[in-house]
Amino acid sequence: RVSSDGKPPKFQPPPKPVIIDRKTQKEERRFLSPEFIPPRGRTAPLKYYIERKDMIQRRKVLNIPEFYVGHVLAVTTADPFASDKSKRFVGICIQRGGKGLGATFVLRNVIEEQGVEICYELYSPRIQAIEVLKLEKRLDENLTYLRDALPEYSTFDVNMRPVPRMAHEEIPVNKLQVRMKPKPWSKRWERPKYNIKGIKFELPEHKMKAAQKWSQPWLEFDMLREYDTSKIEAKIRKELSEELEK
Amino acid sequence: MMPIWTKSGEKRAVTLLKVQDCHVLRYVSKEESGGKTAKLLVGGKNVSPFSKPESAHEIFKEAGVPRKQKVTTFNVTDDAIIKPGTPLYAAHFRPGQFVDVTAKTIGKGFQGVMKRWGFKGQPASHGQTKTHRRPGAISTNKAAKVYRGKKMPGKMGNIYRTSFGLKVWRINTKHDIIYVNGSVPGHTNCLVKVRDSKLPTYKDCNKNPPFPTFFADGDEELPEDLFDEEIFQFTDPSVTFA
Repeated sequence: RVSSDGKPPKFQPPPKPVIIDRKTQKEERRFLSPEFIPPRGRTAPLKYYIERKDMIQRRKVLNIPEFYVGHVLAVTTADPFASDKSKRFVGICIQRGGKGLGATFVLRNVIEEQGVEICYELYSPRIQAIEVLKLEKRLDENLTYLRDALPEYSTFDVNMRPVPRMAHEEIPVNKLQVRMKPKPWSKRWERPKYNIKGIKFELPEHKMKAAQKWSQPWLEFDMLREYDTSKIEAKIRKELSEELEK
Repeated sequence: MMPIWTKSGEKRAVTLLKVQDCHVLRYVSKEESGGKTAKLLVGGKNVSPFSKPESAHEIFKEAGVPRKQKVTTFNVTDDAIIKPGTPLYAAHFRPGQFVDVTAKTIGKGFQGVMKRWGFKGQPASHGQTKTHRRPGAISTNKAAKVYRGKKMPGKMGNIYRTSFGLKVWRINTKHDIIYVNGSVPGHTNCLVKVRDSKLPTYKDCNKNPPFPTFFADGDEELPEDLFDEEIFQFTDPSVTFA
């Protein structure tokens, strides 16, 4: 190559290689169970630290898998009144509530045309095994509207085989729009406070517009409601990874 | 408050109480105090010494201890006297013991008669004029006066109350925490007084407690967590019914 001056071109060092650290990126995306994050309040942090120690102890004995609302789980509990002394229930996880040791999750299934919901405590000693049968997230974090949906959306085969997970990467989001039974419903799901995206509303236009009257557009700008958990989460993740490796 | 589970899988609610910098401050003999037993003044929770005058620091200086937020008295028999200045730890109590807990209840301010005393009030409709939460009649005609102690609106809460007969489920010696059954009066992080139970049913429940108290510099080495026999420990496998 000949430059405009007639002198040899200036030495351009090769570009530095950009190192993408896949391991740290993977850790950032790893799942932290929501009951580990302490709620906002005036309780001393020591209480949450001690609760977390107990939770980690229990997790070392019983493997609690990563699951979200919308997964289909099978839970085996100890029951003194059953013939086998153990009971297995399969259902879709509707909601996850509670913090700390009292964390719960509700499983829903329709058995012989009767809807059944059972609320299990994650850290109860009666639970013998939790298996994830089907991994899929839904559009909402709270699937309580399945109570007012057609029963076909809540029925799951009790003897379902676990669906194998493809790669250890993202969990698929099922963009299913559920059809509802005729009104009245247990809650007015069309109202914006529930912010439900997973229902196919077959209501007339004027009713959907009337429901928007109850919208509170100022809520997302309310600064007092902000609860930034990124630093707390990072600390807890570090603590968890250290303790579980022991 | 936290849940704990028994070995049979039943859930109980438990309150965590932290023993924070408790020291014995002074010994008052039976004749000095004029009561039936000797008294020990105990102080808890260190606090800055700059907000009170020097005269208030005398007790703490004698014991050689920083200023405490609260000083309480415990009635004590003669064989359980402790030297002033000794620290008191959570290991003073053992799992399986029964305990009374005293604290100031949450203050609700000036409250009406329905919330304060549980009166039924009046109906919401059917002609009631401006009367829905009022006490109604306060005395009879013949009495011609209102009796002393008549339940009326006033300041509710912020008074000392005791919960009796609470079982101690677990003790954490590293962080000095006592796990006590059920709920306890007071708001979160409030100061609380814990004593051995005075109920006659639990008179013989305390077998071989650390007497007069648990001394940290003694020979006894306790594990980090002391559990009651019936409690489910998370190191055990899940509960199964045979």
